[in-house]
Amino acid sequence: METFRFTTFLTSNLEIDEEEIDLLMKNCTQKTISAGDFLLRQGGYCRHTFFVEKGLLRKYGVEDAKGKEAVIQFAPEKWFVTDRDSSFFQQPSQFFIQAMEDSTVLMLDDDIIEQLNQKVKGFVAFNERLLHNHIRQQTKRIYELLSASAEERYLSFIATYPDLLWRVPQWMIASYLGITPESLSRIRKELARRNSPQKDL
Amino acid sequence: MATKAIESVIAPPTPYYVGDGFRVHHFIPGHPFPTMQRTDPFIMLDYNALQHLEPSETPRGVGAHPHKGFETVTIAYKGSVAHQDSHGGGGVIHEGDVQWMTAGSGLLHKEFHEKEFSRQGGDFQMVQLWVNLPAEGKKAQPKYQAIKGTQMGRHTLVNNAGTVEVIAGNYQGTQGPAETFTPVHLYNVRLNAGGSAAFSFPKNYTTALLIIEGEIKVNGQQSVPESHFVMMNDAGEDFRIEASNDALVLVMSGEPINEPIAAHGPFVMNTRDELIQAFEDFNLGKFGYLE
Repeated sequence: METFRFTTFLTSNLEIDEEEIDLLMKNCTQKTISAGDFLLRQGGYCRHTFFVEKGLLRKYGVEDAKGKEAVIQFAPEKWFVTDRDSSFFQQPSQFFIQAMEDSTVLMLDDDIIEQLNQKVKGFVAFNERLLHNHIRQQTKRIYELLSASAEERYLSFIATYPDLLWRVPQWMIASYLGITPESLSRIRKELARRNSPQKDL
Repeated sequence: MATKAIESVIAPPTPYYVGDGFRVHHFIPGHPFPTMQRTDPFIMLDYNALQHLEPSETPRGVGAHPHKGFETVTIAYKGSVAHQDSHGGGGVIHEGDVQWMTAGSGLLHKEFHEKEFSRQGGDFQMVQLWVNLPAEGKKAQPKYQAIKGTQMGRHTLVNNAGTVEVIAGNYQGTQGPAETFTPVHLYNVRLNAGGSAAFSFPKNYTTALLIIEGEIKVNGQQSVPESHFVMMNDAGEDFRIEASNDALVLVMSGEPINEPIAAHGPFVMNTRDELIQAFEDFNLGKFGYLE
């Protein structure tokens, strides 16, 4: 998959010159991790917001009793992922953040955010907008989990993540949608029946 | 006619697993070289070098996944692979056979070690090459060409040098069975130790070699060891390979399609808009369905 640099993300959203970027990047850590590696484990403390330059991460929790996983978020290229409860409120995390593919992430800590706040014009408003957008997405997700049909949730998933269906195992997508893998199969089969030119499904 | 020389020799990159069944060296696109623009019309090359597989009751491989906009050419040197697709197709690629699949307008398929082969275990060695399609071909109905080893064109080289098995295109008048959308030559060249074979392709064709077994010398000069990939340059037409010991070489040469490439994962289109449309079509089930 194509790499998407954090610097490109900054220059396409903010008035920021190369000198300011160079200064920031000096204080940022880029980390390369292999598929299966963890950036955060349940019970640990999350110290960063991760920006995915290449690859794919997922954030999930595990029910103690049955060991069943609940996928909260996928983070492919251009996405941020963190655990705010842990990073902002200094609580032990309930979640895991794991690489699904060999990935390159930029690790943003509080100092970097503070530097951006102080030095880059418009960053405060931009960061606020990102936060509002995050809240909006979370609210939409809660509402869908409470009230939308499984098919509607699937359609929302593919609109949010157009290039994940072939990168992620079906059971993980089912977990994200709050349905069983069998239900996801049924939905996909029904969509193929309605949309595929083949009529023998 | 001028001599075509080596542009670069690429050592096998660190292998990784595609699904849980295929341990491949990923030569095309390479990082940083060669790009798929450089190797046009060949846009992906994975090589599962010779590997001994332990018996497994559960066949390993890759589950249902999409393809659109190109052709996959699977060459089974050792072992066999079962496949199934969303258009009702399926079968087994046996040792020595080739499957030429036109993904065209899009399909889902899956590939696993064939059940009996998996149960018994054994040597496994395979190439998967993706050949790009011109814009019109990206709308073509998906189809398969199952090419048995016995159906390939067979040219016997002089001086007991060996044989050239022609999968596609032709070698000195011997025709290969594969139908292609654009001119492509694809051969398995089996050379006895000391044997040599000469090749001539138009200078603008993308030409490359993958050394499956043995070691060869190109144009009497540079030695190339097993599992290495050779990119030939665009100047000149003629070159010669000579086997230092018994060798098997996959020779590929194709006319560049010279259309823009917009590629993401298993979708290879001409524009970004077409790529986004391809994601949407796949997500909405327009490629069909496969468990």
